[in-house]
Amino acid sequence: MRIILTLVKKDLAVFLRNRSALVLTFVVPIALIYIFGWVFGLNSKDVGPRGIVLAVVNESDNPAAQELVDALKAEKSFHILTKFVSPDKSERPLAEADLRPLMHDNQFRFAVVIPRDLIPTNSIGLHLKILSNPLNEIETRTVNGLLQKTIFSNVPQLLGQSLQSRAKEILGSASLDRFNGRLADAISNAFGGDPEKIRQRIASGDFGFNPPDSSPAKPANPALRRLDSTATAPAASFAAPAPAAAEKKTVDDFFSSIVKIDTEQVIGKDVKAPEATRIVGGWAIMFLLFALSSGAAAFFDEQNTGIFQRLLAAPVRRSQLLWSRFLYGILLGVVQLSVMFFAGSLMYGIDVASHLGLLLVVCTAAAAACTAFGMFVAAFTPNEQAAGSLSTFLVLTMSATGGAWFPISFMPPFIQTIGKCTLVYWSMEGFAQVLWAGNTFLEILPTVGILLAIAAGVMLISVWRLNRRNIFG
Amino acid sequence: MLQLRSVTKRFGSLVALDDVSLDIARGEFFGLLGPNGAGKSTLMSLVAGLRLPDAGALTLDGAVLTTHDPAARVALGLVPQSIALYDDLSAEQNLRIFGELYGLRGATLRTRIGEALAAVQLADRRRNPVRTFSGGMQRRLTLAASLLHRPKLLLCDEPTVGVDPQSRNAIFEYLGQLNRDGLTILYSTHYMEEAARLCSRIGIIDHGKILALGTLDELLTRLPFAEEITFAATPATTAFSEQLTALGDIAGANGAHRFRPRAGFRLSEFYALAERHGLPPRVFTQQRPTLEAVFLHLTGRNLRE
Repeated sequence: MRIILTLVKKDLAVFLRNRSALVLTFVVPIALIYIFGWVFGLNSKDVGPRGIVLAVVNESDNPAAQELVDALKAEKSFHILTKFVSPDKSERPLAEADLRPLMHDNQFRFAVVIPRDLIPTNSIGLHLKILSNPLNEIETRTVNGLLQKTIFSNVPQLLGQSLQSRAKEILGSASLDRFNGRLADAISNAFGGDPEKIRQRIASGDFGFNPPDSSPAKPANPALRRLDSTATAPAASFAAPAPAAAEKKTVDDFFSSIVKIDTEQVIGKDVKAPEATRIVGGWAIMFLLFALSSGAAAFFDEQNTGIFQRLLAAPVRRSQLLWSRFLYGILLGVVQLSVMFFAGSLMYGIDVASHLGLLLVVCTAAAAACTAFGMFVAAFTPNEQAAGSLSTFLVLTMSATGGAWFPISFMPPFIQTIGKCTLVYWSMEGFAQVLWAGNTFLEILPTVGILLAIAAGVMLISVWRLNRRNIFG
Repeated sequence: MLQLRSVTKRFGSLVALDDVSLDIARGEFFGLLGPNGAGKSTLMSLVAGLRLPDAGALTLDGAVLTTHDPAARVALGLVPQSIALYDDLSAEQNLRIFGELYGLRGATLRTRIGEALAAVQLADRRRNPVRTFSGGMQRRLTLAASLLHRPKLLLCDEPTVGVDPQSRNAIFEYLGQLNRDGLTILYSTHYMEEAARLCSRIGIIDHGKILALGTLDELLTRLPFAEEITFAATPATTAFSEQLTALGDIAGANGAHRFRPRAGFRLSEFYALAERHGLPPRVFTQQRPTLEAVFLHLTGRNLRE
């Protein structure tokens, strides 16, 4: 037994001396648990995405439309944009005509238009428009769900107005007032409450059949909430106080049938294989990072086997060694990414052929950034094991925060900010611009520029560090 | 051909080379003999242009050797301490890579690869991956890779470490032939027999300093004795060995006595004393001292300490 304990102690001592193993065993899982925790709502009861930019154009002068805008603003998942900022920094309210160009410019991916005819006078019902660029399937479904929830939470109020408006058109104001007054009296007699107050609310379209607590984002105006919750509550509410799930579904179905939402996919509607086009880039870039970070291990291998010494004893400069490795990484990266996309093309029908030139441009820039990352790992780690640990940690973290696995909007704002600093994020942006949005060379240039800037910056730091460390022996 | 002038190299507080000056003439087979950590590899790396000295200068045919000027390295070939080959690639692919780094192309490169592989007796294994080679074969291929471009000066940094006797002999013979053909060789080793067998001139280095420099004979003359006499340590020789202290130094190891006579010693006195102790001449082995004796004399310690 003593021998076994001694051997166990030996294994523990070896393990504790191996910082790479410690990082892989404890730090990497904790970091990933934290990130996934945000995505699956473990870190907060307030589950869901954060900061998704939603442009809202309110063309209606109906006060209830503004209440709908306020309700959307109160929704934590959204960052509402209602102003158009001109190049001279002057601001004006967004108009529907602004939306499509801005969506093409990737300023936002979702927009709601509340049209002038929100409550049509010639029919009962509501009319809204939703514009989308469903680049990310999960995010798009979530946003659609949130929009429906917020809109339907306000539908009863708006629908009441629609009924009153239509009734006024058919019966005339005087007859409608009489009808509302008698209805208020009947409600008051049956259930109690002030008949005048009830009449005013009926006239404003507030029939009190909001789906109970279906929305965390209630309108700011208390008048739009359910009718008086004390004495008037049972009297004024036409709906059951707490409808069961089946009843709620019926209400939602009813709303769906009378709310006319015009949806328009602004970008990507011609993409042949939308799901595959959305995901292949993320996985491709993650595995490219793994492949190129293994290049860091090759660095140590060449150092340990004396190959660096032999190469440098030949008429070879240190800088040539580094740049040759950089070039090799780019070549490998471009080939690997191309193979991935062509495989996606063969298996899922991703339209690579039509975008081949621009895709190669983005692949080259992404591969350059990934190669620089591999050099960075080699420069800042003392040996092959440490390089393996650091690269695993960074690749997984960058993939998670950069949006390769799930939308970054599901993470807290500070992680979203970090994510936008990763090469994974910008590589995916580039792929999406080419394959999803069908952007031109000039349009992808900023993204390509950012990737190349990341590559140059990381490479410079790495070369500086490699020279300081005298990795060449 | 190769000149080192007051070369000093430090690694932090450690002085790896301390004011070393050395001249190696064209066609020499120069041996650098010293224990591990003596400064041999550091000196080699400076000559190979892998490092810069902290002080002093190195020149090859008048051109200063630096890390910045790769052109001067065309005249050098390095056989490093480690194998330094791509072991997943074939012998031929390895030679092609190293040949191209020296600017060899096309038919010239193909011819040189063929010659080099034949010279190190690996022509029949040219297409096999290096990882399938024995240690000795890998060493021979390493040597071939450093000769493709026909350097003027070949630097061999302990090239026979871990090599089987057969391959070692093959390497010695090939290096000897190359030297006879005019190649200048700087050969570092901690094996005295290698230095003694191969080198026309030897520098003994320890603690970063060149302690002695010369041909084997010149180095041996530095010893205060011209020969050594060894005999078995037996009860019959015990009293005799005690009396020998009057004539020179006597040391015992591994069941034998080793006697190194003082200057002015006469062999007849030794044998007369032996006769008085009843010891016939066949009991004794008389031999010239070795490089190890020189090293021990200069440093006070054995080469492999």
